[in-house]
Amino acid sequence: MTDSAVVGQWTAAPGAEEIVTGKARYCPDIQLPGLLCGKLLYSPHARARIRKLDVSKAREMPDVYAVITHADIPGENSYLYAEPDQPLLVVDEVRFQGDAVAAVAAKDERTADAALQAIEVEYEVLPGIFDPLEAMKPGADPIVHGEDNIMMSKMYRSGDVEAAIASADVVIENTYRTQWAEHAFLETEGGVGLVGDDGGITVYSSCQAPHRDRMQIARALGIPESMVRVITPYIGGAFGAKDEAHVQIHAGLLAHAAQRPVHLIRDRRESMLTHVKRHPMIVEYTTAATKEGKLLAVKARVIADAGPYTNSTHEVLNKFGEFIGGPYKVENVEVEKIGVRTNNPITGAFRGFGAPQAAFVYESQMDDLARKLGLDPLEIRLLNGVETGTKMYTGVVVREGTAMKASLEKAAEMIGWEKRDQVEREPKKHLRRGFGMATILKGSGLGRGLADHAGVVLEMHRDGSVVLQSAAADMGQGIITVMAQLAAERLGIDMSSVRVVRADTAKSPDAGGSCASRQAMVSGNAVLEAADTIRDTLLSLAAGKTKIEKDRLDLKAGSLTVDGERHEISVKDLAQRASNWGYPLHAESTYQFEYPTDVPEVTYRYSQEVFQFCTQAAQVLVDCETGQVTVERLIAVHDAGKMINPGGVFGQIEGGVAQGIGYALTEELIVDEGHTQNPSLENYVIPMALDIPQLEMEVLEIPEPIAAPLGAKGIAESPIIPTAPAIRNAIYDAIDKPLYELPMTPERVLPVPDVSD
Amino acid sequence: MAEMEIKFDVNGKQVRVSAEPNKTLLSVLRENLGLTGTKDGCSSGDCGACVVMLDDRPVNSCMVLAPQAEGSSVVTIEGLASNGELHPVQRAFGETWAFQCGFCTPGILVSCYALLESNDDPTREEILTAVAGNFCRCTGYQGVVKAVEQAAAEIRAANKSGGGS
Repeated sequence: MTDSAVVGQWTAAPGAEEIVTGKARYCPDIQLPGLLCGKLLYSPHARARIRKLDVSKAREMPDVYAVITHADIPGENSYLYAEPDQPLLVVDEVRFQGDAVAAVAAKDERTADAALQAIEVEYEVLPGIFDPLEAMKPGADPIVHGEDNIMMSKMYRSGDVEAAIASADVVIENTYRTQWAEHAFLETEGGVGLVGDDGGITVYSSCQAPHRDRMQIARALGIPESMVRVITPYIGGAFGAKDEAHVQIHAGLLAHAAQRPVHLIRDRRESMLTHVKRHPMIVEYTTAATKEGKLLAVKARVIADAGPYTNSTHEVLNKFGEFIGGPYKVENVEVEKIGVRTNNPITGAFRGFGAPQAAFVYESQMDDLARKLGLDPLEIRLLNGVETGTKMYTGVVVREGTAMKASLEKAAEMIGWEKRDQVEREPKKHLRRGFGMATILKGSGLGRGLADHAGVVLEMHRDGSVVLQSAAADMGQGIITVMAQLAAERLGIDMSSVRVVRADTAKSPDAGGSCASRQAMVSGNAVLEAADTIRDTLLSLAAGKTKIEKDRLDLKAGSLTVDGERHEISVKDLAQRASNWGYPLHAESTYQFEYPTDVPEVTYRYSQEVFQFCTQAAQVLVDCETGQVTVERLIAVHDAGKMINPGGVFGQIEGGVAQGIGYALTEELIVDEGHTQNPSLENYVIPMALDIPQLEMEVLEIPEPIAAPLGAKGIAESPIIPTAPAIRNAIYDAIDKPLYELPMTPERVLPVPDVSD
Repeated sequence: MAEMEIKFDVNGKQVRVSAEPNKTLLSVLRENLGLTGTKDGCSSGDCGACVVMLDDRPVNSCMVLAPQAEGSSVVTIEGLASNGELHPVQRAFGETWAFQCGFCTPGILVSCYALLESNDDPTREEILTAVAGNFCRCTGYQGVVKAVEQAAAEIRAANKSGGGS
C-alpha cells in the first residue's frame, strides 16, 4: 500500500457532518410512533432474599403496557459472555446492588416510574461478603453462589521460578492494589426494542458486539436468531463495558411483552451502579535479578474481585497473566490467577483488559529494581527488553519487536531523559519535580485458538459510488473511517463516494466484537479482500476495452491509470460498463486471522501474537504540603504497525492517556459493603480539559507481518496502559516515596519524606 | 401538574410549547421540539453534554427549568450553521478529529461557539477554560484546542477581509 491517496492521510470522518450538526442519532434520540418508556427495578441491597415479588398493582395501572419478572422470560434468564450466571431478572436472591428484579414499559417516564413504585418487593436483607481475601477462605460465609467463592483459580508456570529466585543476586517483593474503575462513556447504556409484522424482534443497541447481542436476545426470548435483528445507531462511547450486554436484552423482552416499541435507557446513576467495572486487584509480586539488572524470574499471585457474576473475569485474568512479565526477556515465570466472588459490583471488560493492572505492577517494580541496583530506569529496560525473535515465557515468539526499544529510546529523547537532572527539581520549597517512564506490550486480536474473523459486503453501483456493509460496531474509535479509507484507496475513488452502513445484523455478516484492538486488523483486511475482487473486475474490463495488459493498469483518484499516468476512462465509466454488461460489482469477504503454525510450543492459552509496544514518559510536580500531583508533561510513543487514519490514531492515544491519568490519580469507585458511594460524574473524579497536559506524541510505523496484507495493528488499548506506572515512577523520582496503590491520591502521596536535610 | 404555555425563540424561530413547569429546558428541546442534537449525559449539570446558548450565555439546559426560557432566545447545536453553511468551528471539529463518539460534541461545540462569539483569538488556556465544564471521555481535548484555534483563525481572516458579519 504505497503512494497512498487516502490511507495514512488526515481525513474527516464519514459522519462528521452529522455529528457536528446534531443530526447523528444515538439510542436516546430514536423516536417512533407509540414508543414506550422502559425502566428496570434495581435492588437497593447488595445481598438479599426476595420473600415476595408482587407486580399485580403495577400491571393494572393505566398506560402501563408490560410488567415482567423472571417468570415472564420465555427463554434463558441469563446474560452470556462466557458463563451464563448473571440473571436478567433475579429469581430469588439479589447478589449485588445492580441486580434487576423487574422491568416495566409504560406510556411515558413518569408512568413508568410510578409503575416501579407500585411493584411490591419484600427483601430479607442478608449479610454479604465484600472482602475478597475473606471470601476466598475455606469455610467463608456466605457463599455468593455455587460451592465456594472461588470463581477461578489457575496456575501457570514456565521454567523454574524457585531455583531462579534462589540463585538471584537481588529479590524484590511487593504487594500492589488497584481500584474499581468506571468507564463513564458519555452515552449511558440503551436499547430500543420493537416487534415486526412477522413477530420478529428488532433491537437498536448501543453495543460493541451486535451479533452477540442477537444471539443473547434470541436466547432470552426462546426464538431463533433468524427472528432477531440488531442495529447499532451512533454509539456514544463504550470502552469495554458495552462489550458485555446491558439493557438491550431487556428492551427486546419488554417490546415482546408489550407488543409495542420500547425505549430503555439507563440514567447515569443506574449506569454507574450496574455495569461491569475494571477489576480491583491485589497482586503479590516478586522479581529476581542479577546484580547487573538482568531479570531471572517473576512470580505473581493476583486476587481479583469479580463481584457475584463471572462476566469476563476468566478472560481478563488470562490477559493479566499473559502480560505480567512485561515486554521483557524473562524465562522463569509463575502466575497464580484467582477470581473471587463477592457481593460487590460486577467487573469485566475495560480498555486494556487486565493489562493496565499488570503494567502498574511490573513497571513500578522495574523502577524499584533499578533503584536497588543503582541502575538508570531507561538502561534496565533496554537491557531486558524483548526484540524481534525473542521467545517469551508464554512460548510466543515476537515476530516484530523493533518498537519495544525504539519507543523507549524515542520517549527518552523527547522528554530529555539524559538531561533531566539539569531541570529544576525544587521550583519552590514545597514543590518537587520528578521524571518517570513506563513501557508495555499489549496484544491485538482475540488470541491463539479463538475464532477471530470479520466479514464485510461491498458493492459498487453503476455511478461508481460504493456501499460498504459491516457489523463492526463503531463506538467512536473510528473503524468506519478506516474501512471507508481502505475501500476508497483500493478502488481509486474519493472517500466521499463510500457510504458505510452502520452495523445491522440483517445486512452484514458477523464481524465479532469491537474489542481487543482487533477491528482494524480483521475488518480492515476483509475490506481489502472484498475491494480487490471488485477492483479486479474493473481492471479486467479496462484491459478488454483499452487492449492494454492488466498489470499496467491501476485505479487512482477516480480514474484508470496506465503505467501510473491518468487515462481518460474514469472509474465511473468502468462501473457503468460493468453494470451494462452484467458483471456484478458485488463482493463479500470474510477475513480469518491466522496464527502462524511454524512456532515452538505456545504454552500460554489464548495468547495474542500481534503486539502494541509503547512507552510513555511523565514529568510531574508534587506539592509536598497538599499531596497534589500535577502532570506537567506526558510523552507517548506508540507503534501502530501501519497508520491508516492518523486522526484516529492520535485521537486514541490522547484519549487513552487522558483515561490513564484519571486511573493514576483520581478515579476510584468507592464501595462500602457493596454499596457504591459515588455513582455520579460529580463524585467520580475524571480529568477534564484543564487537568490534562499538552501531550507530546510520536507514532512509529513498523508493519506487522502476521496482520497481512494490511500490516496495521490495533492502537485502541495500549495508550491507557503505561500512563499510571509512568506517573507513579515520576512521583517516586520526585519525592523518594514508592507508591503501591491506585489511585495515587493526595492521601496516599502524603506524608512526603523529608529529604532536605 | 398543570401544563403551562412557554414562548421563546429557538435557533431564530419563535416556538410555543405546553409543558409542566417542572420540566427542564433540555427535555422541552428534546421531547416537545424534537431537537435531539442536545444530549443528556447526567441530568445533574456535571457533564455539559446539554449546553445551549440562552440569551448569549452557554448554560447546562438540564439545570434550567423550561419556564425560565420564557421570552428568551435559545441556540442549540442545530442552530450553529447558517444558510446551510457550517460555522467554522463545526467544520474544524470534523477536520481535526476533535471528537470520537460525538456524544459530547453538541455541548462542546456550543461552548466553543460561545467563546468565539466574544473572542476571536483565544489562547490555549482560554479554550480549555471555555470547555472546562464539558466532559469528554474519548479525546484528551487536544483536538478541541486545535479546532478552535483553526476556526478562530478563519474567523479573523474573514473579519479582516470584510466578509465577516
